[in-house]
Amino acid sequence: MRRRNLVVGGLVLALVGAACGGNGDAGDDTPIKIGIIADLTGPFTTYGTSLSRSAQLAIKEINEAGGIDGRQVEVIVEDIQTDVAATVDKARKLVQSDDVDLVMGPIGSDANDAAYQEVVQNGGKLLFYTETYEGGKCDELYFSFGAVPAQQIRPLIPILQAEYGTNAMLFGADYVWPRRSFEIAKPIIEEGGGAVVSELYLPLVAEDFSELVQEVRDTQPDYIFSLYPAVWGAALKALDDAGLMDTAGVGTIFLGDPDYVGIADLAEGSYTALPFFTVADGAGVQPFLEAYAAEFGAGQIPSGGEGVGAYNAVWLYKQAVEQAGTTDPAAVAEAMVGQTYDGPTGQVEMMPSHHLKQTINLVQAQNGQYALVESFPNMDPEEDCSL
Amino acid sequence: MPSIGEQTPGGRFRRQPGVSGGGSLRYAEFVLLAALVAVPALSRDAFFVDRIGRFLLLAVFALSVDLIWGYGAMFTFGQAAFFGGAGYVAGMLTTREEWILPVPLGVALVAAVAGSALLALAISYFTFSGRGALRGVEFAVVTLAVAVALERLANAGGSITGGQNGILITSRLGPFHRGHSFYLLAAAVVVVTYLGLKRYLRSRPGLVFRGIGQNEERVELLGYDVPRNKRWTFVLSGAIAGLAGALFYVHEGIVSPAAVGVGSSTLVLLWVVLGGRGTLIGPVVGAVALPFLTARLSGTLLDTWLVVVGVILVVVILVIPAGIFGFLAREKTP
Repeated sequence: MRRRNLVVGGLVLALVGAACGGNGDAGDDTPIKIGIIADLTGPFTTYGTSLSRSAQLAIKEINEAGGIDGRQVEVIVEDIQTDVAATVDKARKLVQSDDVDLVMGPIGSDANDAAYQEVVQNGGKLLFYTETYEGGKCDELYFSFGAVPAQQIRPLIPILQAEYGTNAMLFGADYVWPRRSFEIAKPIIEEGGGAVVSELYLPLVAEDFSELVQEVRDTQPDYIFSLYPAVWGAALKALDDAGLMDTAGVGTIFLGDPDYVGIADLAEGSYTALPFFTVADGAGVQPFLEAYAAEFGAGQIPSGGEGVGAYNAVWLYKQAVEQAGTTDPAAVAEAMVGQTYDGPTGQVEMMPSHHLKQTINLVQAQNGQYALVESFPNMDPEEDCSL
Repeated sequence: MPSIGEQTPGGRFRRQPGVSGGGSLRYAEFVLLAALVAVPALSRDAFFVDRIGRFLLLAVFALSVDLIWGYGAMFTFGQAAFFGGAGYVAGMLTTREEWILPVPLGVALVAAVAGSALLALAISYFTFSGRGALRGVEFAVVTLAVAVALERLANAGGSITGGQNGILITSRLGPFHRGHSFYLLAAAVVVVTYLGLKRYLRSRPGLVFRGIGQNEERVELLGYDVPRNKRWTFVLSGAIAGLAGALFYVHEGIVSPAAVGVGSSTLVLLWVVLGGRGTLIGPVVGAVALPFLTARLSGTLLDTWLVVVGVILVVVILVIPAGIFGFLAREKTP
């Protein structure tokens, strides 16, 4: 009886405590607050971690150099667990409770939709999305720093056509990023004198790849352009088991260093186009990698797009705030356009479409390692968002 | 709380842990429920109050599971089909522009609840009737299959379901959309559901249902129409989950395939187990406490929160398998 009352009383007390603890801080707004919603657990852990760490690295460097306009930057990281509901919750927390000046993240397209609605539409705050994505989002307070399809496809397709032949197979996971990317790829393939002989979509995480194998047998493409990120190794394995790996070349726009390491055997020979690889030859690449490893541990490397995207984004934000002289979202947004910064892989420039002109690196997997094929500076995002 | 149930012949069930709990838990649960509902509203932090309001709708979701699993021993792996499914119905009906759509939110909410109830009715026809009536694991597998199928459907639904990105719901819950007023709405729903279920479980059909949970054959031999009782209780459970889900996802502003999937269906089981299945207060507390803990820790213990939450769960389930309130209720039961 007594023990029970104790437990019940304890629960009530905990509740009261939680309620009081919930009263967010109101007051000192001297530091500039950047909120990060990142997938630190769940399927997107690799990318979310890169995003969060790279942003924090830039923030640390900025703070050590005196901050933004003399104000220190405070960072609040929230784990959104590769989950849309958590994204909504954390975005609301950052906007309403922490009253941040800027929200960065997330990774998934679905989470991006959710974050956009909470941060930009309901919250009136800036959202910086740093992930490779399908493009097409257009808003005064929304900025994209990852690669969008045209930037990656323009360098990739010509080399696949030159190396393997004209007939392309488009193979993607069944969602918006692959579908929109392939729509952008088709005219580029035709411009190069090529043809699309097959277009196949499978569920994001398929258990069975016999349809893919059959399709490759039937249509005999010269190369497979793949946007099948979640379980690409399993798809390659199925093709390999069927003895089809030697019949067609492979190109992707998603297989960054950390993902590649796990499936290096299967991915041998394939080409990948992304903003960042450890073998990229920009003058800032090695210093960036060294700073990253020094901060987060030896052997830690940022993944293919979101890391350098987040790093650039923080520095561009600093410049824009200093130019605008305020953290007011609309004023900063206006100052963002046309802002340039010499990032780890070369110069980046924020376009009027709110997407980033940047360097794209093209690599090929050779003898179990990525080798740089060519660097393409100043790739235009070709997004037509007029604001 | 006086109720008709106490005068029925079945009133002897009253002192069992299920509905009223033993001894002081009877009053303690109302104190806790009142505290749970009243205390957060005192906070002036609109975000905090709003967040707890969301969890109260999750508590209603947990109650819908507890009704069938905690009292009727019908283990379900697919309750999110009703919760998330209602979110999808509300989302599609208020955002799509075909035929007579979009409809006003009120109509969509009613349709969403009806949709979940109908889905439950449809499932019950395949599972409870006739010679092939399913129990235990078989029933669980069917609910699992429904959840998997709906998640795939949501993913593959193209422009109807919005595919992997889901549906952005732009309708607002009128004056109840945010902050304290939303909280009041959620609190009202949880209190009404709670008291309603308490009453139902003391009513004659409710007692029959609890009997089924303890010994289905015996209840059948006594001449009760078991399939019918199970069917309508399951429909009630689906409708409750549907109501909670429709409100939850409209407030959320987005519904995506994970909402109807196995993950959501499993999470709700954890809340019920943690709080104590077969008590009504337990799942309510579990559905508020665990998401609150998760939300808090995943912003502070970035690298380790998952381990911390996992350890807490394992310890609770090992030490008190009946859950917090199952343990409290059983302690003094004669």
